[in-house]
Amino acid sequence: MKEKTWFSYYLKSISGVIGGILVLVMFTISILSALGITPHDPLIQDPVNALQGPSAQYWFGTDQFGRDILSRCMDGMRRSMLVSVVAVSIATLVGVILGIVGGYFGKFLDGFVVRFSDVIFAFPAILLALAIVNSLGNSWIDTSLAIAVVYTPIFIRVARGPVLSVKEMDYVKAVRILGFSTPKVLFSHILPNVLPPIVIQVALSMSWAILTESGLSFLGLGTQPPDASLGLMVSEAQSLAAFAWWTLAFPSLFITIAVVGLNLVGDGLRDSLDPARRSS
Amino acid sequence: MKRKKLAIAALAASLAVGTLAAQPAKAASTSLAIGSVLDIDKLDPHTATNFATVRALGLVYSSLIEVGPANKLKTGLATAWQFSADGKTLRLTLREGVKFHDGSTFDAVDAKASLERILDPKTTAAARANISTITSISASGRYLTLNLSVSNIPILAALDGVNMAMLSSTDIAAGKVGGTNKPNGTGAYKFESWEPTQSVKLSANPTYWMGEPKISDITIRVIPNEASILSAMNAGTIQFGIISDPLIAKQVNTRKLKLYKTPALAYYALQLNNKVAPFNDKNVRLAVQCALDRQEVVNTAMLGQGAISGPITSPAYRSSTTARPCPKADLAKAKAYLTASGKTDVTFKALVTSTGWATSVAMAQNIKAQLAKAGITMELDITDQATYVPRWLAGDFVATLANNGGRIDPDTMYTRYFTSTGNLNKVATYASSTLDANFLKGKSSAKSSVRAEAYTAISKELEDNAVWVWIATPFEYRVADKNLKNFTALTTGSLLPLRSASLG
Amino acid sequence: MNKRLPSTVFFTRLASVITTLFGISIFVFIVLRVIPGDSITGSLGIETGALTPEQIESLRAYYGIDKSLFGQYFSWMGSFLTGDFGFAYSNGVSVLELTKSALPVTIQLALFGTIFGVILGISVGMFSASKPGSVRDFAGQFFGLLALAVPGFVLATTLVTVMANVFGYFPNGFEYMSPWEDPWMNFQQMMFPSLVLGIAVAAPVMRTTRSALLETVDKDFIRTAHGKGVKHRVVQFKHVLRNSLIPIVTMTGIQFGYLLGGAVITEKIFAMPGMGRQILDAINKREYATVQSSVMIFAIMFVLINLITDIIYRRIDPRIK
Repeated sequence: MKEKTWFSYYLKSISGVIGGILVLVMFTISILSALGITPHDPLIQDPVNALQGPSAQYWFGTDQFGRDILSRCMDGMRRSMLVSVVAVSIATLVGVILGIVGGYFGKFLDGFVVRFSDVIFAFPAILLALAIVNSLGNSWIDTSLAIAVVYTPIFIRVARGPVLSVKEMDYVKAVRILGFSTPKVLFSHILPNVLPPIVIQVALSMSWAILTESGLSFLGLGTQPPDASLGLMVSEAQSLAAFAWWTLAFPSLFITIAVVGLNLVGDGLRDSLDPARRSS
Repeated sequence: MKRKKLAIAALAASLAVGTLAAQPAKAASTSLAIGSVLDIDKLDPHTATNFATVRALGLVYSSLIEVGPANKLKTGLATAWQFSADGKTLRLTLREGVKFHDGSTFDAVDAKASLERILDPKTTAAARANISTITSISASGRYLTLNLSVSNIPILAALDGVNMAMLSSTDIAAGKVGGTNKPNGTGAYKFESWEPTQSVKLSANPTYWMGEPKISDITIRVIPNEASILSAMNAGTIQFGIISDPLIAKQVNTRKLKLYKTPALAYYALQLNNKVAPFNDKNVRLAVQCALDRQEVVNTAMLGQGAISGPITSPAYRSSTTARPCPKADLAKAKAYLTASGKTDVTFKALVTSTGWATSVAMAQNIKAQLAKAGITMELDITDQATYVPRWLAGDFVATLANNGGRIDPDTMYTRYFTSTGNLNKVATYASSTLDANFLKGKSSAKSSVRAEAYTAISKELEDNAVWVWIATPFEYRVADKNLKNFTALTTGSLLPLRSASLG
Repeated sequence: MNKRLPSTVFFTRLASVITTLFGISIFVFIVLRVIPGDSITGSLGIETGALTPEQIESLRAYYGIDKSLFGQYFSWMGSFLTGDFGFAYSNGVSVLELTKSALPVTIQLALFGTIFGVILGISVGMFSASKPGSVRDFAGQFFGLLALAVPGFVLATTLVTVMANVFGYFPNGFEYMSPWEDPWMNFQQMMFPSLVLGIAVAAPVMRTTRSALLETVDKDFIRTAHGKGVKHRVVQFKHVLRNSLIPIVTMTGIQFGYLLGGAVITEKIFAMPGMGRQILDAINKREYATVQSSVMIFAIMFVLINLITDIIYRRIDPRIK
């Protein structure tokens, strides 16, 4: 029932609906690409048709090897989505557990968790990711891990804050006095209460993760050629853009649409999950 | 109302841009600003290996002999030279009246001290190996005599370049070379200052032995991105640009700017490790060689801005590109070689460096795609320079797409790789007694016909065995203001011709 | 509930700041050693192969990488605490020298970027909030979204290409000028990178402004002001904006902190000799001391700014104890 009311609130949010559509489109594109359904093979080179502008055959034109840019954008989108989903999932899981446990138990454990998140927070994000990818390697898993490390503290903070106030609430105190086990209190009573801000944070973090991933590929870390990645495509287009605009324009557009979509979904979630906003 | 305001704002903005665009006025006609991606990394000419350092210090120092276009020896600080009959003694006559930038006079004692500094293992001089045949040096008045362990004619060409710079013996004795000491040379330009990661400033040397240069000031400015260098050229904020990315060079508007293009000595090759599977089998190597359409590699990765090449890139002894197995791609032959090797499925990993990656990585991508058509799977292992180097040095690769530097003389270029005692033989992974003999033949003869014979034979052996798959040489690009006159681009990429150039 | 004395609060904060910085120093040290390659191969490239084992040994001693990891860490930390940041071998100068010229560039960039972003963000935010739900609100919000979504490197690459190829204007091609040497040139060189950074800042500021304004507009005292017949524009500026300042200031502080550490790519594309480029170069050359000390400097600044924002915040908002 609660589900239904939440969803009907979400549908009322224009941002949420538009964002949802954009994200669905990008998600579908990723799935299609994962199934191998792209107009051309993203890796097949056709040097005779190198650097052709958009045409009926190549909707988004071709790159310097005559590869189809649309297919590469689709494939790149799939990779960005994958990295962003995996990275944010890890960050959410680790961050939320640490945040809840730290906030609930307090004392030494909490101090440690807070210090840990401070350390990572004070580290410039792109440099942190850069250093980690450099030392781990260049596969998508490594990139995901690096981004996960960067975003974990955000989830620690998002989860820990509400826990601090929720654990002082009367009914949680009552449950504790009734002798419920600690894990049960944590996950049945505290988690549901801190869930809304976390869900909103997941949507926003996914959009940042897509930006970070493309920034790393732009610097030559992360996805490696010949595999396609949106950031890498922009980076390659740097020296081509002056005479082949499509090499820069389309991958940029894809990144932008995905990030806009996820942000709008975040807005929609905020509008529908926050009781204070529902009324307005 | 609102729309009108917007329109006015837009107009104002475009006007502002217009005035700004018109603003970059011509710099004073005698100073030249050069844009380079790389910064120099040290001030010691003898240990300099970084391209930027070699280029900048090349203007500050002179060497005894210079190698001009087409491998021709020219006088430098030495005006004449003569070998003894057995080729084991070389006597050089030094130029008179040459002064260091600090005002002291250059003489044979300085020359002796400089060469001895290079030979001293503690210096870790970059080109020590090239003159290691020197056993002793004596200086008397205008004359410098080098005693050699073997007859070594190419040593003349080896005396060229920044790594053979002549320093003041006083500076050497006082330990005032490199570090933060201001370079003190005899070159066309005096060293003024170095602001790390930003710029190097030079000023014309009024007492230069070839006469004072016409361009009075040179600033080499670090712009860490070639696209930005071209942008700066277009905007007229710099007058000279050093470009290596063919994609950028292709965008140079030759109506507004001068583009100098020379085939470089450096070359791209797919180095195959002859010691490990699958490339310990000659047939597999030849299969790779035959599967490759080199022109397609050049067309895609370099947008056509490169020249197909064989092993030797020195203009005087350049390898023929038609006298090799499969000068044109031949898939049927490639498959026949694979069948002959008895292997049906060849998969290997190629090490590629991402530093200066635009071309290397692009090339690797195209080679991978081409080999796939012959049923050969090449996987890319892309790393940055600092990771790449130790693996390359240890021969820790099955194959690697290398962008190796070339030398003006094939002897100094390949002896270290392809003779059994060469210090890089572990990287080359191939040696033979015939190669050793031919390198010795090339080293000890002064006759260019004999030398050509030796180097043709070397080239042939390397290519017939597909030791490596040589692909192409890039072009060296220099982009200059229309007003730059009397500048010639050298295959070595040296900026030295600026000493006789003028602006406007 | 927590009635500790202010000085106790201060000391707890200080202790936590110090442990944080200590954690960062260990973290950056370890991460760097895990990256393959070392200072020698990073600086000499393939010429390393020409070295004899003795030469390599002496170079290792020269770069200080012959000691044990503990030894390396403590000798670095020890000298860092006394203000000696180490030596940048590939540049031939001390890291302190390098930082002295790079840090002001980054700070100026972050400052310009923040100022530009705040002005743009607040104006668009007010523009949007003045008529919620209207076309202008939609346009403003759309701008905010785009600013958030277009990556800095896309914007920078496009700007450079268009400015140089279409207008023939590229001030960053000139030698970098500090504001003391040539203020006008400095301004031109700062303009585009600050624009790129500023747009990234504008987005969150715009969104914060808009929602803060909308919340304040509903408050009683604003209605009263309107009821009293105070001019709309006056109400907007004098009452609404002033009362929405707290979240805007907080957001600005956060963004400024991020800009200080986040301009790596922008500095690279616009050839700005700042800290981001310094660290990027140093990572590529495995200049351990440069990376470690620069990251520490960033971290110290970041922590300080957080502390200052926190103090200002406590001052403005009496509800926070």
